[in-house]
Amino acid sequence: MELLLKLADDAFFSSFPAVGFAMLFNVPRRFLPYCALAGAVGHCFRTLLMQFLSVPIEWATFMAAALIGIMTIMFAKRHLAPPLLYGVAAIIPMIPGSYAYNTVIALVELAAHSEVRPDVLNQVVLNGVKTVFILGALSVGLAMPSLVYYRTRPII
Amino acid sequence: MYADTQNDITRQVVRAAQLLLAYGAESDLVEELSQRLGQALGLASVELSISSNSLVLTSLVHGRCVTTTRRIRQHGINMAVVCELQRICLLTEKGLYGPNDVRKRLAHIHPRTYPNWVLIPSVALSCGSFCHLSGGDAAACFITFLAAAVGMYVRLAMAAKHFNVLVNFAVTAFVTSVLAQVGFMYPLTATPRLAVAASVLMLVPGFPMINAISDMVKGHMNVGIARWGQATLMTVASVIGITIAMQLGGLLK
Repeated sequence: MELLLKLADDAFFSSFPAVGFAMLFNVPRRFLPYCALAGAVGHCFRTLLMQFLSVPIEWATFMAAALIGIMTIMFAKRHLAPPLLYGVAAIIPMIPGSYAYNTVIALVELAAHSEVRPDVLNQVVLNGVKTVFILGALSVGLAMPSLVYYRTRPII
Repeated sequence: MYADTQNDITRQVVRAAQLLLAYGAESDLVEELSQRLGQALGLASVELSISSNSLVLTSLVHGRCVTTTRRIRQHGINMAVVCELQRICLLTEKGLYGPNDVRKRLAHIHPRTYPNWVLIPSVALSCGSFCHLSGGDAAACFITFLAAAVGMYVRLAMAAKHFNVLVNFAVTAFVTSVLAQVGFMYPLTATPRLAVAASVLMLVPGFPMINAISDMVKGHMNVGIARWGQATLMTVASVIGITIAMQLGGLLK
């Protein structure tokens, strides 16, 4: 029950960033609900994998992005619109914002001291590596359907 | 096919490719759509050479080549334009559109954007949701919402005045994180750090980054690296803004 509540909360709040960023990219209004749906399902799936099956965040992100890739191709075929139109907005809720932020803060802190402090350096490397890997997982996961299945023919 | 007809069709195709690149489509899509559009209009083949800020296109009919170059100026991401061009290509392929219809529809493409009074609240709400998703409490989410709304206003105002995008990002990041630091000054929230982190997330260059990796994975190395460089510069610009704001707020002792 608690897990279900958490997932519902997750899905609800991750649909806002998807729509907000879709509007920033000027996605036409009739496609906005689909961006929200893809964003909500993707983030919800990632939370499920991480909390329930305790998959590491990088792999969970990769699988969620691949799921979004498959979903957006289905949408794209139905509406005859490019799949990235939905895809990029839908993965926005999974962007590793706080990792990236912590990396930068630690980096600036590193520069503020006169000698290298191991605990701060630790923060830089740890958060930085997480950020890069999650970003890579997102974009490669999203491209997965066209790399594996639509190798020689156009999607629409 | 007469030479005049070939010239005309080539112009339509290169116009479509130019619009696609200027409004942020990935290179693979640009190449695919312009080749399909050209062949649907009767060209034997269309070859493209895409670089980060220009485009060379050659069309071939009956052994006669027409080559033309276009300069690309980035206009920011507009998916409505990309979607419209995709539709024109598909309708032409189905035989519903001839060269004249394509010309008419291309001339009618206007990059429409959402009005500011819709964009500002929805982006602010997105940042508030980011804060909630990463575990912030209600007060932190509210601070994030306000800071992001002001930041988004600054960003749109500066974009309207045609400031360089990097300057724009640095100033926006500065304003946003100065405002979001209010949680550190007063004991309003238990998670002030998350409010600052979430409110600057509206500056994440999501589309350039995804486009960059997508281009590089699909073999358009030079365009991909150029886009990656652009995305990195945008991130660095916002980092500079955040750093100045934090030193002003005394967060880095």
